[in-house]
Amino acid sequence: MLRYHMQGFSGYGVQYSPFFDNRLAVAAGSNFGLVGNGKLFILEIDRSGRIVQVNSFLTQDCLFDLAWNESHENQVLVAQGDGTLRLFDTTFKEFPIAIFKEHEREVFSCNWNLVNRQNFLSSSWDGSIKIWSPLRKQSLMTLTPRPLEITKMVDPLNAIILKKKSFTGISKNRNCVYQAQFSPHDQNLVLSCSGNSYASLFDIRLPSGKNQNNFLVHSGLEALTCDFNKYRPYVVATGGVDNAIRIWDIRMLNKNESATIKRTVPGQPHNSSCINEIPNAHGLAIRKVTWSPHHSNILMSASYDMTCRIWRDLSNDGAKETYKTNSTDATKGSIFNFTQHSEFVFGADWSLWGKPGYVASTAWDGNLFVWNGLG
Amino acid sequence: MSQRLQSIKDHLVESAMGKGESKRKNSLLEKRPEDVVIVAANRSAIGKGFKGAFKDVNTDYLLYNFLNEFIGRFPEPLRADLNLIEEVACGNVLNVGAGATEHRAACLASGIPYSTPFVALNRQCSSGLTAVNDIANKIKVGQIDIGLALGVESMTNNYKNVNPLGMISSEELQKNREAKKCLIPMGITNENVAANFKISRKDQDEFAANSYQKAYKAKNEGLFEDEILPIKLPDGSICQSDEGPRPNVTAESLSSIRPAFIKDRGTTTAGNASQVSDGVAGVLLARRSVANQLNLPVLGRYIDFQTVGVPPEIMGVGPAYAIPKVLEATGLQVQDIDIFEINEAFAAQALYCIHKLGIDLNKVNPRGGAIALGHPLGCTGARQVATILRELKKDQIGVVSMCIGTGMGAAAIFIKE
Repeated sequence: MLRYHMQGFSGYGVQYSPFFDNRLAVAAGSNFGLVGNGKLFILEIDRSGRIVQVNSFLTQDCLFDLAWNESHENQVLVAQGDGTLRLFDTTFKEFPIAIFKEHEREVFSCNWNLVNRQNFLSSSWDGSIKIWSPLRKQSLMTLTPRPLEITKMVDPLNAIILKKKSFTGISKNRNCVYQAQFSPHDQNLVLSCSGNSYASLFDIRLPSGKNQNNFLVHSGLEALTCDFNKYRPYVVATGGVDNAIRIWDIRMLNKNESATIKRTVPGQPHNSSCINEIPNAHGLAIRKVTWSPHHSNILMSASYDMTCRIWRDLSNDGAKETYKTNSTDATKGSIFNFTQHSEFVFGADWSLWGKPGYVASTAWDGNLFVWNGLG
Repeated sequence: MSQRLQSIKDHLVESAMGKGESKRKNSLLEKRPEDVVIVAANRSAIGKGFKGAFKDVNTDYLLYNFLNEFIGRFPEPLRADLNLIEEVACGNVLNVGAGATEHRAACLASGIPYSTPFVALNRQCSSGLTAVNDIANKIKVGQIDIGLALGVESMTNNYKNVNPLGMISSEELQKNREAKKCLIPMGITNENVAANFKISRKDQDEFAANSYQKAYKAKNEGLFEDEILPIKLPDGSICQSDEGPRPNVTAESLSSIRPAFIKDRGTTTAGNASQVSDGVAGVLLARRSVANQLNLPVLGRYIDFQTVGVPPEIMGVGPAYAIPKVLEATGLQVQDIDIFEINEAFAAQALYCIHKLGIDLNKVNPRGGAIALGHPLGCTGARQVATILRELKKDQIGVVSMCIGTGMGAAAIFIKE
């Protein structure tokens, strides 16, 4: 295990460079990201196995996520608390080379399109997702998951339970889009997840109004993270405040609607059934799920419970579907539990490089750890 | 800052709370791939004990003939490959050894391969429901993907086999105050319930008459047709209609029946107690991920099952303790339940449980209960599952419950799909 400590800053996002096997970027904020400066750390693992800082950029507000430019080895994009996105060149000092300002609130995630490598997207607490080109100041497109009233959308029977006092906190962050992602298989597909417990799948080729498919993913509790599987184009994972990881087959969304939810009005969001679930994957809310770049059935999660875990998706054996669920396994499919962090873990990323299994994680404790999750 | 902090606080508070809530109650009504679903649930008609259609056949015959019909109606992928059934559990009370041998034999005869294991279960009147729970648990933990739960009883033929409540051989136990309570006849335990909790004879007869009226009406309206499979008898005749329900039963007509257990001041009569009966029922269960793969139909899903112990001398109070336990385990309340199938071992104990829990009488046994239909002991739990899945509408929640001799109660929750 390797460690780098970001004095005075708490880590929110981490990503391995897609161009250099020893380079990492970390997005961080002072005062736990609640108020004050942010900082982008550019780190390298040197030949002796130490992590060293090769550059850093101080920003005026906290940084919540980052994305390396997939077509330029020195450029990193950050998502900032003041509603801006900033593109930095790691060979420069201090200032960004571009600023993208449209969001009205904190930008919580950013993601570079892996297929066309030209566009990136951002998701924000203002309830929108924006698609950008680094060459343009203005966004190319704004996607807004339909504002969904949780009590209306949840099954009326479910609403009995949601009415209970314990789940009233939902309303405040309802529109917040915690994460959005381009599909790594199709440059036109975007997946997002929101505080209203819904995930949304957009096909940006379609006219707005008809381009989204919303599905309830976390039982009325906030959905904080989502990820496309890198090998199975139709499989996505989500994580949220119900402490569960759920795995969905996006081909099944419409099928489920017509087959089982007869009373759902066409075009309205619906309750779908996931293909697999890891209930109580963590003791507290899940902040990040990310599929392995090397395996079609392994994923990692990071949580407020201060751990990162590696899981096997038992509904697929790597080649075909098994129709098993993780709940039927004695270990629930758990492969590894990383317990070195001493605060909430917000960011984690798999290394694309070297022997499969290396990951980097970052947490409120200011640590960046590099460790092997597959032994 | 305050909003960012509040947001994170919300995540923590809600996720920590979710952990404490025993069964993720907020999402009970969502479908999940690991759900245990009911693919099929059927029963035979219930025959009158000693004089009914099934009086000349024993449980092996009933089970074999029922399975022939039941399996014949299985969805195609399953019928084509019965190896997919990985376990059979069969509830039975009165046969020697709970019918472990003859019921395994009936399974083999009906085409279930020898490679599919068999278990005989006896938890008295809950045996059929306990079999459902046994299969459901094995599916839940991944031991099996598909299993068959059965319940069969011929009170006609086997009441004589054993003292219905067993024997205590040890002299020490015979003198032990607690132990010997297990030998109290069921009728007397009900007299205890009626006396202790002041359930009047009139109330009992009214409840019983109501059960008869509901059952007769349901039978006449054909409401049982979907759940009853025909049983072919040795003489070639076919039995596919319940023999228990009869017309024109009123509280008044029942009031003239003499008490059966305590002649002078008893309130329990043949009219307000369950009938002695013969019957068989089966429930086919699977994990949803597998049911979807095989394109099996889904009638509903099993949610949870709980049993409790209660004092043997008032064993009839069992549902009054088992139902709250299963509700608590699932985060539901009495008013969330749409239909209760509470076995009517006796009118007094059923009434006590209904009043104790504040259940709306209209939600209880809408198609009559064991007083009118009969109570083939080991079959009853599975029979109730077959019935409630026809009573419930989509997304409604049902409870199946019964009291259990020697002092227990069982309750299970099902949701219709």
